[in-house]
Amino acid sequence: MPTSSDRPVPAGTPDAQAAGQPMVAAPPGAPAAGPPQRPPAVLRLDDVAAGYGAAPIVSGVSISVGSGEVVSVIGPNGAGKSTLLKTVTGRLPVMAGTITFGDRDVTNMRGNRLARMGLGFVPQTRDVFDTLTVAENLEMGGYLLSKSQIAARVDTVLSVFPALAGMQSRTASKLSGGERKMLAMARVLMLEPSVLVLDEPTSNLSPDLSRSVLRDQVRRLADAGTAVLLVEQKAFEALGVSDWAYILVAGRVEIAGPAEDILARPDIREVFLGRSSNADEAAGG
Amino acid sequence: MNTLLPAIGFGLVTASILAVAGVGFTLQFGVTNILNLAYGDIMTAAAFVAYLVTSAGVSVWLALVAGAAFGGVFSVVLNRALYTPFVRHGTRLFGMIIVTISVSLIVQNGLQAIFGASFFSLNMPRPAPIHVAGMVFTTVQFAIIGIAVAAMLLVHLLLRYTKLGKAMRATASDPELARNCGIATDRVIDLAWALSGTLCGLAGVILVMNVTAFTDTTGSQFLIPVVAVAVLGGIGQPYGAMLGALIIGIASEVAAAVISPDYKNVVAFVILVIVLLARPQGILSEIATRKEVAA
Repeated sequence: MPTSSDRPVPAGTPDAQAAGQPMVAAPPGAPAAGPPQRPPAVLRLDDVAAGYGAAPIVSGVSISVGSGEVVSVIGPNGAGKSTLLKTVTGRLPVMAGTITFGDRDVTNMRGNRLARMGLGFVPQTRDVFDTLTVAENLEMGGYLLSKSQIAARVDTVLSVFPALAGMQSRTASKLSGGERKMLAMARVLMLEPSVLVLDEPTSNLSPDLSRSVLRDQVRRLADAGTAVLLVEQKAFEALGVSDWAYILVAGRVEIAGPAEDILARPDIREVFLGRSSNADEAAGG
Repeated sequence: MNTLLPAIGFGLVTASILAVAGVGFTLQFGVTNILNLAYGDIMTAAAFVAYLVTSAGVSVWLALVAGAAFGGVFSVVLNRALYTPFVRHGTRLFGMIIVTISVSLIVQNGLQAIFGASFFSLNMPRPAPIHVAGMVFTTVQFAIIGIAVAAMLLVHLLLRYTKLGKAMRATASDPELARNCGIATDRVIDLAWALSGTLCGLAGVILVMNVTAFTDTTGSQFLIPVVAVAVLGGIGQPYGAMLGALIIGIASEVAAAVISPDYKNVVAFVILVIVLLARPQGILSEIATRKEVAA
């Protein structure tokens, strides 16, 4: 168990992050890191509280995502990660605090209006329309587009996910886990979202497919300029493709900082990510 | 053989009415997850609208349009004014069933208060018989089959080939995901109530066109077979309801002719129970309904 002296520095405000202040304390003896450069926030949560019923599951949460960034929210089971994403995507009401998209306050805005503004969401489960075909799912993903725009976007999206091209008439409920996740990603890309929120995109996927989704799809999207907010149980894999990360514990952000710094911290690895450096060495990592 | 073919003919007429009513019922449930047990009474109310129109000397076909329009408007208003506020206050599936039963009793007793506990019939020309392949229909029954086929075809075209129809199916599949795609689910739900109500009104009028007399309980008595059709086909599945209507409609009329009219409903519901034992989710439903009431 960590003592109070070796407990990492609590996360600061998004203003502090935007100013480039390091949000995670350097381990004892480590060289001082320079301030990480983050792009201006596209999506920003300030002191947000949310939950089911009267009691908040998350509270005082301040996080931000900038264009071209992959930002991970990681933490143990029950930390409130999915609750946080449901709040961001208009599925759960905000009890306190504000959510800003660009320069617009979108607190408690419904999902369909957020989609119009450019926020795409892939839930952990129920991520496609089971009773619709693959082609119809893509069409619904591009619901806000005209018929000709939908056709053009379908071509573009299928070039990213060519495996879907041969199964357009198949009902989504008949897809395998990997195919389903591909469809969910393809569906959300139909509107070319400026912010993409992903809730455990690798759940139920094989390790190879998980790596492919995170390294090939998620990273590639961010490199193309999309702001990606990622919640993932596979914390190491998520941090491996992330620029910035927040560690959520019991509904609060305990640590925030550059993903590679968090990955390099043995204390954080042991306490929050459940893996020791010795284990990594034994595993050749 | 002498009785079988005419029985199949009767069955086709019953199936046609059941199909129109069943598709409307299941479509609305699929999109909103509200089991509207006032559906049968809205059918009756639409029949009374048609009764008033024909009593004024207007053609029964215009009365049919008036009844269908009444059903659509009444259903949208009912949802907006009553059901949606309950859903927004957190009333769940079972609570909503109680609310819809209350509406059913209000409509039924309201109709009885207005029109009295009596028998009514539409003022329409006496239909002529038509013989087709050993089956005997009246011109009105023939029209009912045609109306049902046309209605089912339109519903099919709407659901399969229009953006609105696909949005309805998407909302029925997962309303939250539909919203996250940018679909204005409130508007889609309004339109689903309008479509369902129109089919409900249409079914109410063709139901009373096919009988010599009706009362303030005619629609509510028809509700159980309508629910059975929806459950048999897979609740929320319009195509399942069409198939369910065909099975229950023909089976009940054939049972009435071959065994005894007393067994009409017995045979239909035995089929329902057997099918549900094998496929609890209904004939055409691939997935069980998991979602909450859509708001």
